[in-house]
Amino acid sequence: MKRDFIFTSESVTQGHPDKLCDQISDAVIDRYLARDPLSQVIAECALAGGVMFVASRFASSVKVDLADVAREVLREAGYDGNSGFNADDCTVLTSLQELGSRDFDCLDERQMDEKALDRFVAFNQVNSFGFACEQTPSLMPLPISLSHALVRHLDQERAAGNLPGLQPDGQAQVSIQYRDGRPWRVHGISMLASHDDRLGREPGRLESFIREQVLAPVLSDFACEQDAQTQVSINPYGPILGGGPKLHAGLTGRKNGMDTYGEYSRHSGAALSGKDPTRIDRVGAYMARYAAKNVVAAGLARQCEVQLTYAIGQARPVSVQLDTFDTASIAEEELLKRVEAVFDFRLGAILRDLGLRRLPAAHPAGFYRRLAVYGHVGREDLELPWERTDRADALLG
Amino acid sequence: MPKRGPTSTSRITPVHTAVPGRARLQIQGLYRNDALCRRLEHALEGVDGIRFVQGNPLTGRVLILFDSGHGLDRLIGCIEKVLDEQGAKPSSRVSQEPSRKPSGMVREMRQFAKAVRHPSGKGQRSAPQAVFRWHAEAGKEALERCQTDPREGLSYEEAMTRLMQYGPNQLAASRGRSPLSIFLSQFATLPVAMLAVSAGVSVATGGLLDAGVILGVVLINSVIGYVTEAQAERTIQSLTGSAARTAQVLREGVEQSVAGEELVPGDVVVLTPGAYVGADLRLLKCHRLTVDESALTGESLPVTKQAEAVLAADTPLGDRINMAYMGTTVTGGSGMGVVIATREASEIGQIQALVGKARPPETPMQRQLGRMGTQLGVLSGLVCTGVFVAGILRGQGMLQMLKSSVSLAVAAVPEGLPAVATTTLALGINAMRSHNVAVRHLDAVESLGAVQVFCMDKTGTLTLNHMTVVDLRFADGELRVKDGDVLDGEQVLEVEDWPGLRRLLEVVSLCSETELEGESGAYDLQGSPTENGLVELALQQAIDVPVLRERFAREKVYYRSEHQPYMRTVHAHPRGGRLLAIKGSPREVLDLCSHYLPLHGADPEALDDELRERLLGQNETMAGEALRVLAVAFAAFEGENVPRQGFTWVGLVGMADPLREGMAELIGVYHQAGIRTVMITGDQGPTAYAIGKQLGLSGDQPLKILDSTHLEKMDAELLAALVEDVHVFARVSPSNKLEIVQALQRTGQVVAMTGDGINDGPALKAADVGVAMGEGGTDVARSVSDVVLEDNNLLTMSAAIRQGRTIYGNIRKTIHYLLSTNFSEIEVMLGGIVLGLGQPLNPMQLLWINLATDIFPGLALSLEPPEPGVMSRPPRDPQEAILRPRDLRRMGLESAVITGGTLAGYLYALKRYGAGPQASTLAFNILTHAQLMHSLSCRSEQRQLFSFRRRAPNRQLLLAVGGTALAQVLINLSPGMRRLIGIAPLGPLDWLVVAAGAVGPVIINELSKPAPLSPGKQATKEEETA
Repeated sequence: MKRDFIFTSESVTQGHPDKLCDQISDAVIDRYLARDPLSQVIAECALAGGVMFVASRFASSVKVDLADVAREVLREAGYDGNSGFNADDCTVLTSLQELGSRDFDCLDERQMDEKALDRFVAFNQVNSFGFACEQTPSLMPLPISLSHALVRHLDQERAAGNLPGLQPDGQAQVSIQYRDGRPWRVHGISMLASHDDRLGREPGRLESFIREQVLAPVLSDFACEQDAQTQVSINPYGPILGGGPKLHAGLTGRKNGMDTYGEYSRHSGAALSGKDPTRIDRVGAYMARYAAKNVVAAGLARQCEVQLTYAIGQARPVSVQLDTFDTASIAEEELLKRVEAVFDFRLGAILRDLGLRRLPAAHPAGFYRRLAVYGHVGREDLELPWERTDRADALLG
Repeated sequence: MPKRGPTSTSRITPVHTAVPGRARLQIQGLYRNDALCRRLEHALEGVDGIRFVQGNPLTGRVLILFDSGHGLDRLIGCIEKVLDEQGAKPSSRVSQEPSRKPSGMVREMRQFAKAVRHPSGKGQRSAPQAVFRWHAEAGKEALERCQTDPREGLSYEEAMTRLMQYGPNQLAASRGRSPLSIFLSQFATLPVAMLAVSAGVSVATGGLLDAGVILGVVLINSVIGYVTEAQAERTIQSLTGSAARTAQVLREGVEQSVAGEELVPGDVVVLTPGAYVGADLRLLKCHRLTVDESALTGESLPVTKQAEAVLAADTPLGDRINMAYMGTTVTGGSGMGVVIATREASEIGQIQALVGKARPPETPMQRQLGRMGTQLGVLSGLVCTGVFVAGILRGQGMLQMLKSSVSLAVAAVPEGLPAVATTTLALGINAMRSHNVAVRHLDAVESLGAVQVFCMDKTGTLTLNHMTVVDLRFADGELRVKDGDVLDGEQVLEVEDWPGLRRLLEVVSLCSETELEGESGAYDLQGSPTENGLVELALQQAIDVPVLRERFAREKVYYRSEHQPYMRTVHAHPRGGRLLAIKGSPREVLDLCSHYLPLHGADPEALDDELRERLLGQNETMAGEALRVLAVAFAAFEGENVPRQGFTWVGLVGMADPLREGMAELIGVYHQAGIRTVMITGDQGPTAYAIGKQLGLSGDQPLKILDSTHLEKMDAELLAALVEDVHVFARVSPSNKLEIVQALQRTGQVVAMTGDGINDGPALKAADVGVAMGEGGTDVARSVSDVVLEDNNLLTMSAAIRQGRTIYGNIRKTIHYLLSTNFSEIEVMLGGIVLGLGQPLNPMQLLWINLATDIFPGLALSLEPPEPGVMSRPPRDPQEAILRPRDLRRMGLESAVITGGTLAGYLYALKRYGAGPQASTLAFNILTHAQLMHSLSCRSEQRQLFSFRRRAPNRQLLLAVGGTALAQVLINLSPGMRRLIGIAPLGPLDWLVVAAGAVGPVIINELSKPAPLSPGKQATKEEETA
């Protein structure tokens, strides 16, 4: 196992075009599921040239105003003013296709017994990865946690209007130096923040604001300080005027690294956003995280990666693998056995145990769309079923 | 008359004064100025000593015959005086006008028109109207000048007097060609000139009979040409007529509606949105008045008017914000103005005076055919010269060859190609009229056949624009409405038994601006579609709305606003206190409510959070079903203060605007015909989706909806890239239709667009085919459209497209026939002479062929009924020439086969009878009959002649072919005709050869055509819609 190294993760703000697309895709999922939990939806999004493209294939008893969803997300992300790109003015091109056959039509996991859950099968051959480690209280790698915290703080400051002229598009990259496999010091932080003319004229103000109002509080939250050697760059290539969709294009599913573990562990290439919970490539990742987190929470390992491999037409994963990177306190074979005994990795069981299809109805302000920014895992601000450590005791046996 | 140099002034230049008592003068400003011309004529005729005056606005000259005793100088002095009387100097006026806004064509015309201001048209004498720079004066001064009181308007008497004085406010309809000029034009053609030469040669050589025959041919040709062209002319002239218009005026203090023709200078006109400005006005009062002046200035954005402004004298027309001009339309606001110019004195009248003179511009196809006709004419001429030279070289007599080649030229030169198009297009316009399609421009017929994208309004075009209640939801029950019955499941409910239902219907009847007009039982509802739909249901449920409204007298109305998306009305309660009725956006209305009224019980009950959630859920479900959802609630209160909460929730009403019948099938027809369909609606996404799905707009593809409230802000290139596969434009305003049309056109598509509103004008004008709705459509929409669907029925449009395609096809067929037969005539002559077989046909025979085979079968082909597959084919490529190179090759091939048959028969006769009338008779008969047979083959580009599949017969063609064949047989039988045409009697065997020579080529030509489309594919859908 590697011991001394530097690792970098990044995260972007709500207003980043790629993340806008992810949020809109998931907001569409929320809208369908909120009114018809059995809906099946695939939503994809692209943002280019000031035009929003939203495509949805669905089988549902409800109709969703995709354009309205998109505008709502854009508005909430801060594109509501007179900046170049505007939620109300922008053109939305929607493409809607009803799925002819509802394969899960009458399948409601809540009405089914154990055996019947086997009828939920995977549609793809999929690897799903879940990871947990002791680097932070949320059992996430430090670089990605810090990155998320920075952009989230930046978003909050902007939304609160604490720095007039700050625009929604931004990014944070954090490099952590590890010693002996544990985070040792902050090696470098770079932040990008878009802004308008007002701040363009006085770049110093933006930089000092970010240093003082964003970096300092976040770092102290994580109990890590920057030292003399820490390299901090803020808008290193000069002012970013406007930013957002006017400046660069966006696409759903392009930020898989920051959606998961900041590339610290493996992650699947498939996008998580824009898929309803019957898609194993989405919920497999949640379930794998659930398992890995409980292993670490139980103290059975300091670091754990769970890999689930599903095959087309099968309910149960064809392979469940586990890697503790030599940090396990019991034999990995034994650990794997316990994990398989405690967690039911069948698609139907995941839907049932995590209650995934009913979450949007229970969260009027949206559930999945909240995941689409600041990460799908390791969230402490949301009560995510897969972040619970309620199976730790069972694992301890 | 003393000989001296002609006197010229700055404005008058003598052109020809050599003959005493006769002078031709060039007058400055007369060029293209009818009015001045008439004034000059009128003024000078009254001058003592002048015997005759004729001006010519086309040359700018005037011819005067006068007693030579009077000097030329005096004459020039008289004219100078007339020019002076005009007041404003024409040339300087033109240059004063910085014509910034008007588009090119309009500007040019205006410059021509600028000079003089008082024309009189249509032979009615009318007094000249005074010309002032009205925009440079205050409104009060204008009123004084017009001697009008702004509060009273004119008296009836005064209005009548002025009407007599100035004439009816009517623009001269464009003058068509007179019958005589059409008839004469038949003679002023190249073939006739050649025939005249030929006749002259005949007379010179003693062939008086020949000359007579030639003159006869000319006459017959001309009469037929006259009849068809005069008919087409009548049709084209009838296109320019426009609908009757009315104006709101003050007369004796009373606002009233008068016909647009009755407006006189001094009338006080009231302007409201949608009104057509019937005369030039100096505005007196404006309230946010905006006017669409595109008809006058080409500026597509409405202009905001201000009555108070006093402008500089040289303000260009487009910037005169204190004026409103005839022919423009009010797009918003209101206003009042005094008429300062009517009829031809108005700005548009001056333009129209010139436009009216111009013939409608030639359509692209006519131009194409004209060019092609000239090219082919030159080619034929060259070939005829070649025939002449070859004949001489072969030792034929000079004179004989001259006559032959002239006759050949007459027969072969395709002189009438543009006329074929005009006649056929005009026939098509008549055919469409019988389908309730009014075509307003000749070239619209052509464009109709090429339409690739059809953009349709949703409201009122695809739907009935008749909101109907379909769904009622109460806190404790859900009801459906069908055909005016309220249903709980299958059971019909009686309103008396259900207090909640009754209260709901009462509230929507009270909280409504819909007026009930007419008799009880057959009310005519006047109001917005939504409110009408609600009141309609109340009436159907036997609620006596007038009585209800009397009991609960309305005291106050609060309209819905952006922040309060509901409407409230305050009513006096018959049992004391007041009632507040409210209807509007469910979420906001629910926030005001503390109780709800159960469907089953009479007393309100308290609302809890769970129920609130459920009610909102009901709303979402209904909205998801693409219904327009309104919440209904009420509150009873005492005193003056209108309550802001504590309302009682009654229920939700779901309404829909049903689709017109047959629309989904119609969309299918368009798709089958390869025409893309696009729906334009102001609806939100889900409604747009539901209707798009019902209509099948995307076929089996995903439905693509472009949602934008600000299309005009989008980059044009980007929009063009996006629109290519958009099926529905949602949430767009009517004014965005222009962007949509332009974006589609950028992609190279031929676009048709429907419209009926005030804001639709620019889009309809920009579209290749602007389709206006006849009933209920605004004047603006009608006036700029190409096609008006009089019955408002989109099904009619498919008939129009089918007709457009057929007409285009028929023009092609006719031309195909004319050219291929003309080629065959040339080839037979050329072949005979070049091969040393003598002249297969004599001049008389050639003339007969020209007369017999060209005219009637050609005309009949232009009347072909639609081919069965015409609506299963994709639209033609608009870039494609009407005659493609491969068409010409095909014609060449077909004519060669006909020539082959004719020459083979001719050879046989030469062998059997030797050179002489016998042989040429055989060739003559074969060629005539082969051409007649060929006309049948020209009915289709596919192999069809021998197929057993039924196809609508073309009776006219059968008649033409049969009649001509009969005439052909008759001249063979009559000795007199035989002598005249130079043919010999034929034996039975010869007739067999004729039959073989005529039928053989047709069979070969038919077999060489491509096989028709597979029968199953076509002739399905459009047969039903036809």
